[in-house]
Order: sequence, then C-alpha cells, then structure tokens
Amino acid sequence: MRSPRIPILKLHNCLLVSIQWELDDKTALQFQEDLLNKIHVTSANGVVIDLTSIDFIDSFIAKVLGDVIDMSKLMGAKVVITGIQPAVAITLIELGIGLNDVLTAIDLEKGLEKLQQELGE
Amino acid sequence: MNSVILNYIQENKDQIFNEWIESLKENGDERVVKVVSDQVFNSTSYEFIDVIIASVKNSTEEFTSRLSDFSEKVVRLGWPLSFVTKALNIFGKIVFQKMQGDGLVNNENQMDTVFEFDRWMNPMVNEMVNMYSSTWERTVSMQKIALQELSAPLIPVFDNITVMPLVGTIDTERAKQIMENLLQGTVKHRSEVVLIDITGVPVVDTMVAHHIIQAADAVRLVGAKCMIVGIRPEIAQTIVNLGIDLNQITTKNTLKKGVEAALEITKRKIVKVEEAE
Repeated sequence: MRSPRIPILKLHNCLLVSIQWELDDKTALQFQEDLLNKIHVTSANGVVIDLTSIDFIDSFIAKVLGDVIDMSKLMGAKVVITGIQPAVAITLIELGIGLNDVLTAIDLEKGLEKLQQELGE
Repeated sequence: MNSVILNYIQENKDQIFNEWIESLKENGDERVVKVVSDQVFNSTSYEFIDVIIASVKNSTEEFTSRLSDFSEKVVRLGWPLSFVTKALNIFGKIVFQKMQGDGLVNNENQMDTVFEFDRWMNPMVNEMVNMYSSTWERTVSMQKIALQELSAPLIPVFDNITVMPLVGTIDTERAKQIMENLLQGTVKHRSEVVLIDITGVPVVDTMVAHHIIQAADAVRLVGAKCMIVGIRPEIAQTIVNLGIDLNQITTKNTLKKGVEAALEITKRKIVKVEEAE
C-alpha cells in the first residue's frame, strides 16, 4: 500500500509541516520533493517541521531531513524543527547528525514565534 | 547428622566451649577481640553451641532455620567473615582432637569420622558464607539504586529555566542516564534554557567533555538552549589543552552568572523590590 503524502500547509509567509507517522524511505523522498516545490510555488520564507509524534528515526530519514533543511536554505527559506522527542534527539546525536545551524523549538507555538523573530529581523 | 559427634558435644559442652573461647582469643584477630565485648562474644558463642546441640533433638529443617537465624545475627553484629569461618574451623578441630583424646576416634573409624565431620561442618560454613555474601550483595545493589537516584537530578529553578547539578565522576553509563534525564526533563518542564553545573565534577577529560557536548547538542535539538556553568580554572585549562571545542556552547564560571544569563535569554531579570511607602 502506498502511504499518503505528507500535507504541507501554508500559513501567511510560512509553510507548516507536521509529520504524524514514521516515514518510509519513499515517502521521505516524496516529501523532500513536495516541500521544495511548495517553497518554489508559494515563495515562502519560512518552514516549520513538527516532529512531535515521531518517536523513532533511522539514519536515512535523518539524512533526508538534514538535506531538506539545507535545500530549503538554498531556496531562501528558514527552517525550524519543533517537537523533537528525547529518544529522537539521542538517536540523532549518536548517528552524528547534529543538525548544526538548524533552529529548534520545543513545540509548534514556540517554533512559529522563533521563525517570526528570525524573519522579522 | 552423626549422633556420636553430637552426643559427644552435648556431654562435654562446657569443656569444649571454654577451650574454644580460649583458643579464639589466642588465635583471633586482635582487632575483633578488642572491638567485641566479652559478654557479647561469650553469649554468641554459647548460642552457637546451643544451635548445634538443638540439631540433635530437632529435625534438619528446624536446624537449618535456626542456623540461618543465627548467621543473620552474626552478620548484624558485624563480625568479619574471616573471623567467623576461622572460629568454625577451630571449633571443629577442638571437638575432633578431644574425641581423639577420649578414644572415640581410632584407626578403624578414622576415615568415617573425618567424612562425618566434613558433612557436618560444611553446611554450617556454607550457610555463614551465603548469609554474608547475600547481605553484601543486598547492600551493593541498594547503594547502586541510591547512586542512580542521586546521579542526575533535574531542578526547575524558574519558569523555563532548569538546572542539572552534576557531582562526582562521569562514566559512560552515567552519561547516558544524564542525557536521558536531561532531555526528558527539558521536554517535561518545557525549559528554554538548561544549565549543566559541573562544579562538582572533579575531572574533565576528553570522554567527559564529549558526553557533555553530546548532551548539550541533544538539548539544542529538543529546542532548548544549553549552558555549561561552574567551569573552574583547572577545568578551563584542561579543556583548552585537550583541544576540546566548546565554542558552540555558552559557558559561565558560576551558576549565578549562568542563571543571570538564562534570565536574560528568556527576557527577564531580577529586580530589587522598592521600599513600600
């Protein structure tokens, strides 16, 4: 069965992505493509990716996530990752994926706040 | 149980007892003899003989339970294990020698008697050793639990500001626990700033620094800012000499400064209350 695409919502000048289930490799790549297209179409300058409901992550998904962040940056959109669970944080650090220079926040609310702050300046 | 041996003990109880005590005082560790008062020493030794004699009258099960009760008592008294096993040894020797002297052991039944002795003494020694070792194991495991509870406490000091004071050496297992507690606490308390206080960490080597940096990185991922406070001069020296890069992490020398900086980050400050008119 094909897993459904991840919805990407537009909110003012930002894009909102909430990942609600464990991604498989295909969905992750699909998501990467979708997000970049959406940034291009809406010319958004900020993206919030919420991972609150993810409590497990593998190295491939982590890499894709890192790539998406770098790519979005190239397209001029700032990315904030929100709601990383402790277990996920430990996995990422152990895999050596520090997601350096990425903005993080504890939840969506704080994430949007942070993004507005960054964009406002 | 060999009834010949036990009957002999029962009949010559006082004599054996006196000789045993004498020999214990002679051979025993001076430390033990000094620490333990004569009264306690005598009464406990007497009780031991009673326990042995009771085995003549009672069943094996009852004897076992009395023996374990007695061992527990000895453990509680805090006598060293080496002393207790030695005492048992000497007791056996005295009984054997006395029996030989009284002609109860001769060339014919020598081997049998030795075997009987062995069968009789071994369970007692085993029981003692078991009791001691299980007490020790219990103590060690309790201490381990206590240590775990003390190892990584997380204290929310202000809204969104949390402090984790670390005391003592950090090894890999503890580092893992610190990381888990730190992250879970950060999410639970919705902290914006987390201060790791390493005032009480005696040595910071590459391994410890690596663990702390990892923890700080992980804290950043869950969306909080991590600050390391309590850096003493010698720790600063070690960190630089080891070439550890802490540039990504804010560091302060005292917890006080750390809290001030944390308040600044969360856009608050401590002000003095004006005197009410």
